[in-house]
Amino acid sequence: MADTQPVIKPDKILKELGDLWTTMGKPDAGEEAADTGTSDSLGGGVLRACSMTLQFFVDDEEDSMALGETLAVLMKEHPSRAVVVRLKEGEDFLDARVFAQCWMPFGHRRQICCEQVEITSTMDRLADVAAIVGPLAVPDLPRMILLRSARIVRAGALRKILSLGDKIIVDSSRPGAPGFGELGGLLDAGHIVGDLAWTRITEIRALLFQLLENRAPKNIAIEYSGKEAGAEARYLEAWLQAGLPEARVAVKRSGAPGDGKISAIQINGDLKVQIAPGAAEYDLGDLHRRASLPLGTDEELFNSELSIVAHDGAFERALNFITA
Amino acid sequence: MAVYIYPLRVPSVTVSLMPVETLQDPLRFHRKTPPCAVVIYGANGDLTKRKLMPALYRLAYEGRLAPGFAVVGVSRTAMTNDEFREKMHDSVKRFLEDSPFDEDLWRSFAQGIFYQAGDVAQASSYEDLGKCLDEVQEARKTEGNVLFYLSTQPSQYAQIAEGLAGAKLNKDKGDGWRRIVIEKPFGRDLTSAGELNGRLQKCFQESEIYRIDHYLGKETVQNIMAFRFGNGIFEPLWNRTYIDHVQITAAESIGVEGRGAYYQEAGALRDMIQNHLLQVMATVAMEPASSFTSDAVRDERAKLLRAIRIMRPEQVADNAVAGQYGPGRSGSQMVEGFRSEKGVSPDSQTNTYAAVTFLVDNWRWAGVPFYIRSGKALPKRVSEIAIQFRTAPLAMFRKATAGAETVPNMLILRIQPEEGISLKFVSKRPGSGMQLRPVSMDFNYGSSFGERSPSAYETLLLDAITGDATLYTRQDMVMASWTAVQPILDYWSTQKFNMPNYAAGTWGPESSDAMLARWGHTWRRP
Repeated sequence: MADTQPVIKPDKILKELGDLWTTMGKPDAGEEAADTGTSDSLGGGVLRACSMTLQFFVDDEEDSMALGETLAVLMKEHPSRAVVVRLKEGEDFLDARVFAQCWMPFGHRRQICCEQVEITSTMDRLADVAAIVGPLAVPDLPRMILLRSARIVRAGALRKILSLGDKIIVDSSRPGAPGFGELGGLLDAGHIVGDLAWTRITEIRALLFQLLENRAPKNIAIEYSGKEAGAEARYLEAWLQAGLPEARVAVKRSGAPGDGKISAIQINGDLKVQIAPGAAEYDLGDLHRRASLPLGTDEELFNSELSIVAHDGAFERALNFITA
Repeated sequence: MAVYIYPLRVPSVTVSLMPVETLQDPLRFHRKTPPCAVVIYGANGDLTKRKLMPALYRLAYEGRLAPGFAVVGVSRTAMTNDEFREKMHDSVKRFLEDSPFDEDLWRSFAQGIFYQAGDVAQASSYEDLGKCLDEVQEARKTEGNVLFYLSTQPSQYAQIAEGLAGAKLNKDKGDGWRRIVIEKPFGRDLTSAGELNGRLQKCFQESEIYRIDHYLGKETVQNIMAFRFGNGIFEPLWNRTYIDHVQITAAESIGVEGRGAYYQEAGALRDMIQNHLLQVMATVAMEPASSFTSDAVRDERAKLLRAIRIMRPEQVADNAVAGQYGPGRSGSQMVEGFRSEKGVSPDSQTNTYAAVTFLVDNWRWAGVPFYIRSGKALPKRVSEIAIQFRTAPLAMFRKATAGAETVPNMLILRIQPEEGISLKFVSKRPGSGMQLRPVSMDFNYGSSFGERSPSAYETLLLDAITGDATLYTRQDMVMASWTAVQPILDYWSTQKFNMPNYAAGTWGPESSDAMLARWGHTWRRP
């Protein structure tokens, strides 16, 4: 480590967080945070909330503004101590700062604030990062890792950060994400894994679950756009095939240009579910039906995954099926 | 490097399940809803427009309804299916809360909306409805399942049930189910409630009758059970040894707002306390159920309601207060008195405010007063349950402070607005000396969970469709709550009150404060 660099210790960061809250808690910390004078407000200007430790590993190229917005959205549903680790090129660099994200919920009188620690590091200091991030976790609450760093995957350093969390969430449809084989390896080692590509097809799966009732599906074809099936199509195939071993489930190109996304599901040749942005359409007898398939933003998908801190049977069966 | 080992791995696919069940994903999928037709009587009314249709559309939006789903609106007004759909389109668009309106989805949803004009007094209207339901079943594949929702005047409930039974619509010809939902009030008093139940039960089995109390559908009321029975630390304190008294408040800042004619016949005791607030009290005070099943939970609620001590006539004056608002100020706005409302008699004796002290005769609650109050034109809109604990047995900080240590701990369960839970306790002020001050530890439901909470009607409609009656009121519960308030109604009917006795914008009549003062308590100002 270069002599000029400051020593970063978890205790110091925790003290800074404590100081931050003391400042935030003062009635004059902000106009919005002022005492409302009602019987319920007892002088505190902000409401501190925490339901987990959220560790977000990203590459330094990630847009800071967009990342901040993502965290702000996640905080509303999962108020947390967020630790953002930004990994950059170069050597021997490590820095940390603390701040709070606050918002005033609509119609409320007090701000809600969540604390945030941002650590910037080069890959060669990953071991130091782990030594800092570990003690920063809030005791007794879940520790979630959101992985969006291709740098970590490329360096084969995924397992170095796994001990920091109870669950790791990736998006295998993103370039630079860990592959199915690697995710399967994590499962085999007993880790809890979440994949946004799987989360993205929840609404489609729920619809198929309802439509397949009282049917005996023999042939199911999943059509996708573009040249190669995306992770979502692969997961859907695996979920259906693992759940319906008697049926023949195939994945095929629709012929339309695109990026591998699911475009239609054909069941027994007599029911075709067309997947359009935000909706699914199908015909049941004479009835044309449209079902809403809300377009999940990354934040919504993360929110959904953050709600599950346990082994996810359906997902693990599908992933095991793919990697078998 | 430490590696987490989770010994419990997910088992492979269980082959004994039905094929489609192997696709079940309990972590992510909602419970499955059966196909059905919802028949709404009073389809042209306010409740249908403001609550029922927006709730059904929202359920469709969330994919919670089965593909075989239909709505049949029934009312006297002549209308075509298309005219009814158009009307509902406008209502849903206007009254849908916290959700986007998707025109394409509406078009698909509206294909399943039908309308049948009919007079509930005419037997032929039920035969017409039967034919309509046959057609709907054929077209929409509803499999003979029908939920009748009576959003009409309460005086028509029994008549409609009898009409449905007369046309044999209370039973499906095949394997389908039939259920009937009615809105409160369930009778005007103990006698009429008994009569209504008797007539309903001649047409439908008790398990097919869903008496809706939308208060029980509120997330925070359901959360009372989660709070009490999902945590280990509160239940040991939940008894007469540690709890001093309980206050349940449902305050409205507005007056009767044009509903004077209806309200004059009802009053706060009938409109709020007999149903909503006694159900809330039962939820707060009931014993833990052996399981979270409809009958087990309702058995415990019913037991609690039956344990409420019945007042003797000479006890009513000390334990129940009737109030009526006169002119006053709500914020910066002048409010007329209740008697100046349209449709209200100038010498009306109707209670727009009622407060009652209930005692529960069981081991857990013996001697603990439950104060319940509800009123119109009070200073703010708030519904909450305040549980006041007994003070610390030894006031060891008395000399060092200005008496703050005698502030009792309070647990506040807020139902609306800003749903949440607060625990009040005292803490040392920073600095030298031993100065204590009360502080609040807050859990805010809305900000802790960013997810949109379903409306009470979404929850309750979905429960009725799936056959879950946990949040619905059973006949014995209705009778028990009427039994508890009947002595008050009887006594008040013999009295001539000096009304109005509180000004709009105040916290009710002074006699209400005096009622608590007799026990050495004061009302909390929410």
